[in-house]
Amino acid sequence: MTDPNGMSRRQLLRHTAWFGAAVGFAVAGGEVISHVAGEAVAQRAHVRPTLRFAQVSDSHLGFTGAPNPDVAATFRHAIERVNNLGYTPDFVLHTGDLTHLSSPEQFDQAKQMMSELKTPHVFTVPGEHDSIDDAGQKYRNTFGADAVGDGWYSLDVAGVHLIALVNTLNLRKLGHLGVDQLEFVKKDVARLSSDTPIIVFSHIPLFAMYPRWGWGTDDATEALSHLRRFSSVTCLNGHVHQLFSKTEGNVAFYSGTTTAYPLPHPGDAPAPKPVTLPAGKLRDALGIREVSYTRGQTALALKERTLQ
Amino acid sequence: MIGILVRLGLAASLTISGAGHAYLYVHGYQHIPTIGIGFLVQASVSSAIALLILVGGPGWLRWAAASVAAGSLAAFALSRTVGLSGFSERGWDPPPYAAIIVGAEVLTVALWAGSLAVRRDLTPR
Repeated sequence: MTDPNGMSRRQLLRHTAWFGAAVGFAVAGGEVISHVAGEAVAQRAHVRPTLRFAQVSDSHLGFTGAPNPDVAATFRHAIERVNNLGYTPDFVLHTGDLTHLSSPEQFDQAKQMMSELKTPHVFTVPGEHDSIDDAGQKYRNTFGADAVGDGWYSLDVAGVHLIALVNTLNLRKLGHLGVDQLEFVKKDVARLSSDTPIIVFSHIPLFAMYPRWGWGTDDATEALSHLRRFSSVTCLNGHVHQLFSKTEGNVAFYSGTTTAYPLPHPGDAPAPKPVTLPAGKLRDALGIREVSYTRGQTALALKERTLQ
Repeated sequence: MIGILVRLGLAASLTISGAGHAYLYVHGYQHIPTIGIGFLVQASVSSAIALLILVGGPGWLRWAAASVAAGSLAAFALSRTVGLSGFSERGWDPPPYAAIIVGAEVLTVALWAGSLAVRRDLTPR
């Protein structure tokens, strides 16, 4: 039977068949692409990555409040996560705000807890919460033994060049590196060949993530200009308590999440104040990051893990 | 004749867009939270629609093609401005794929709009 204003049963069946074919081909196509991507990953997996490390950030030890009543417990959980990755990371990065109020007790607690990380090296940079009243002196006394200047440093691990930058000591509205540190970066990379993979880590993003909230660094462009000639540059940061990624030319930026409490997405609130999530949801917003680099690849592989 | 050319053009432009997204997915974008799966879905849906348009599927497939292309263009614009699911890129990064994909998607939308206009002109009033 045919409805004069609609389609016949035969037409309906035909359209249903086309729709089914579209869904079927889409699923099959997705399977093929996933398989190809999986093969590529598996091929890389046969070769042990040149470098594997973990990033934790913004533990805010000493914070008390409804957004997270026990930041020490969630930081401990993050440490356990790192210790149970199934391999020993070459190092662990903490991208700042280890403490909430920069007290000696909080620094002691951070140092003691991080000594439980099963890794040969732990590298840190200070956040603005780690340098509240003394321009980072207590931070440097606890964590800055190998640093130069006011806490920045660089080193080479497995052919990868790491640069730790401090952009929280001369905070205006945005993060700030300063002339001395810019000079350090310029001289530091001058000796490196352009195919050396570079990993830069800092607390405040080196890209303009949301300048209205201070989520950017006012003189980062100059620092990054010294890195333009390198084929692989990856910048890791904390501060924003949420995952975010951005690519600018040869530089990939990745903001990491926190082990303490979430902050609103850019512009979602009048100010970046701690967010209280419904019961049971907090640990989904907290996490750690695994990063691996395989020689010959320009991009680092990142894997985000929640604390759930 | 125009109908066949439009069909071939839509299939080709969708294939280019889907292949570009698939290439970027395999070469790194799979590691980006949310965006990775978006690239996979775009690539597989575009390829499926391209194939069905090529073999002479019904007219609504052209609407689907235009929707996928327009949605991808909107996502591209968001990723260059306010960000999309915590992801943002600048300009035509990664070259040359971004420019090729955007060009193909603009062509898809243009072919769909053109075929719609031609069809309206040919409809007896």
